[in-house]
Amino acid sequence: MAQILEKNKLDEMIARLNGDGCEVFGPRKNDTSSWYGKISRAEEFCFDQILPDRPLKELFFPRTEPMMKYEIKKQQVDAENYVLPKKQRVIFGARPCDAVSLTIDDALFAWDACDEFWFERRENSVIVSIACNKKDDFCMCTSLKSSPDVSTGSDVLLHELVDSAGWRVSAITPAGQDFIDKLGDVFSTTSTDVSVKPPAEVPVKFDLDAVIRKLNSPEIFESDFWKTISVRCVGCGVCTFVCPTCHCFDIQDEGDVYHGVRRKNWDSCSFAMFTRHASGHNPRPDQASRWRQRIMHKFNYYLERFGQISCTGCGRCSRVCPVDMGVTQTLVTLSTNGGK
Amino acid sequence: MGNTLEEHIKRTRQLLECGEVAMVIGYERGSVENRRRATFVKEVSELERMVLDGLCCENLANYLVREELLRSFDGKKVAIFLTTAGVRSVNILAAEGQINPDCVIILGFEAEKPGELDSAIKMLDGEHVDHYADSIQQLKSRGFVNDRAQVIVKLEMMSAEERFAFWREQFSRCVKCYACRQVCPMCYCRRCIVDCNQPQWINASAHDLGNLEWNLVRAFHLAGRCVGCGNCEQACPAGIPLMLLNQRMAQEVLKEFNHFAGESSTQLPVLADFKKDDPETFIL
Ligand code: SF4
Ligand code: SF4
Ligand code: SF4
Ligand code: SF4
Repeated sequence: MAQILEKNKLDEMIARLNGDGCEVFGPRKNDTSSWYGKISRAEEFCFDQILPDRPLKELFFPRTEPMMKYEIKKQQVDAENYVLPKKQRVIFGARPCDAVSLTIDDALFAWDACDEFWFERRENSVIVSIACNKKDDFCMCTSLKSSPDVSTGSDVLLHELVDSAGWRVSAITPAGQDFIDKLGDVFSTTSTDVSVKPPAEVPVKFDLDAVIRKLNSPEIFESDFWKTISVRCVGCGVCTFVCPTCHCFDIQDEGDVYHGVRRKNWDSCSFAMFTRHASGHNPRPDQASRWRQRIMHKFNYYLERFGQISCTGCGRCSRVCPVDMGVTQTLVTLSTNGGK
Repeated sequence: MGNTLEEHIKRTRQLLECGEVAMVIGYERGSVENRRRATFVKEVSELERMVLDGLCCENLANYLVREELLRSFDGKKVAIFLTTAGVRSVNILAAEGQINPDCVIILGFEAEKPGELDSAIKMLDGEHVDHYADSIQQLKSRGFVNDRAQVIVKLEMMSAEERFAFWREQFSRCVKCYACRQVCPMCYCRRCIVDCNQPQWINASAHDLGNLEWNLVRAFHLAGRCVGCGNCEQACPAGIPLMLLNQRMAQEVLKEFNHFAGESSTQLPVLADFKKDDPETFIL
C-alpha cells in the first residue's frame, strides 16, 4: 500500500494549507536565479532544477533580520525585542541535502545561547522533501556519506513516480504524519505497490575519512597547501552565502545615536573584514588562512564540537564560485596526497 | 594579422626561462568540462596546463591587484593573457597609480564568440598597453552597439516609477556578498566604502535600502572606470544584470565627457578630475 500525491493536486494542497493559515514555500526560479520562496499557485513551483541556487537556510536564517529596536533617552534605554509573527509553514519540494543542512545548523544555533529566531521558524515548519533522481557534476552528497534520498531533516519524503505524474509519499516524523493526515483526500491511496524513479547515482568524489584524518594531522595547519589551493580565491564570500550550513553572522546597529534597530546579517569567513581588529591587525591576514578556516571549521572543528560535518555535499560552493574554486577540489586533494 | 597561439606560448616560455617575469597569469581547464579558470605559472614545466579557447572569459587583470599575488611578484614583471577589455583595465590601474604598466607584459587575445568552446581565437599584437591605443580608439568610435544597448533603450522608455520598480525588484535579490566588487579589477580599494563604519556611509544590511545604496555606489564608483569585462555580472549569485548599469554609465560618460574608460595609461579619471574653466561652479 502506498500514498500518492498527484502533481495536479498541488493547487488544491496549497489552497487547503492556506485556508488553515499555513504558508507554502518551495523552489522557484526566474531567468537568472532560483531560490526557495513563497508559493501561492502550483505553477510557481520549479521542480526540474537540480537544486535552487540559493540555500534553504534563507527561510530560517534570512540574510538580514531585525532583532530589536532601541531608543536611548536621558536616563534610560528602551529596548523592544522583535517578535517573529507565528506562522505555520510548509516547505514543499526541498532537496534532501537542504533538509539535512537544517539539522546540522540546529546544533550550532542551540549551542550556549539558543537562537530563538531559528528555532521559532524550525518549530513552525514542516519540511516536505523530494528525493533527487537527477544530479549534476557538482553534487557530492554521497561523498559526505549521505544520499540523494536521505530522509534526515525531512518530515515527509517524496519519490517521483515513474510516469512523473506525482510522488509516492512517506511520513518520516510525527509532524510529517500529521501533515499527511490533515490533508487527507488530497492524497490518493493505492493498494498495489507503485514504481518510483531510482535515486540519482551520485559518484563518490573523495574519501571523507581520509580528509578527516588529514585535517587532524598536526602538520596540516601550517602547511603551504592552503596557499597553493586557494591561490585564485578572490574572497568574495559567495561560496559561504550559498552554503546551506554556513551560519556566521554579524550584529549591526542601524540608526542614529539615539534610536535604531539592531539587525543580524549574514557574514563570511572569506571576507578580509571578518577578523580585522579595530587596531588594524588581522589574525587571518590572507586568503589562504581564511580558506583554511573555512575547511577546518566544516570538517574538523564542527565535527569535534558537535559530532557532525558541517557540509551536506550540495556542491553549491563549487557550482557558483566565480573563479572555479569551491570546497570540492580542496577535499579531493586533501583525501589523496595534498597537504603534506 | 595577429600572432598565433604558438607564438604566445613560445614567448611565455622564453620570458620564464630568462627570468624576466615572475609569473604568467593565464587560463587552465576548470573543475568541469566547460569551465576555464585562472592559472598562475612560475615554471616552464607548468606551461603545459595552460589553455586558451572561447571559454576563457574571465578578465584576469583582477589578479594584478590582489595583495597576496603582488607580494610574490618580487619586483619582477608579470605576463598576463588579456583581451582588449583587460588591457583597458591595466590602463586604468596604471592611470590611478596602482601598477606600473611597464611591468605588465600583455599576451593579447580576442575570442570571436566569447563563451563558446569552438570560437575562433585571434591573437593580438603588442606586449605593452601603449600598443593597444589604436584598437581602443576604434572601440571608442564604435560606441556601444550591442544587445544590451537595446535593453537600455527599453528601460529608458519606462516611466521613472516603472524603472525604479524594475531595479528595486532586481536589487531585492542582492545578498551583499560583494562578489561583484571582489572580481572587479577596478575595485582595488583596500578599504571599500561599505566596509567603513565610522561613519557608516552605507547600510550594511541586505534590505531594500542597503541594497539600493550599495548598487548605486558601485555603479557610480565605476562610472568612467568600468571596462565592461563582465566579471561582476558573471559572479553575481543573485543574477542581477549589473552590466546594464555599467553600460548605461559608460554611455553617459562617453556622451557627456567624450570619455572612454581605459583609453591610455595616463587618462585622467572622469569623476575625479576638473578643469578650471569648467562652466559648473559647484566644484570650486
Ligand atoms: S572560493 Fe570562490 S566563492 Fe569562495 S570566497 Fe573564494 S572566490 Fe569566492
Ligand atoms: S561546503 Fe559546499 S558542498 Fe558543503 S554544504 Fe556548503 S555549499 Fe554545500
Ligand atoms: S564593473 Fe564589472 S564589467 Fe566593469 S570593470 Fe568591474 S567587473 Fe568588469
Ligand atoms: S554580487 Fe550580486 S548579490 Fe553580491 S553584492 Fe553584488 S549585486 Fe549583490
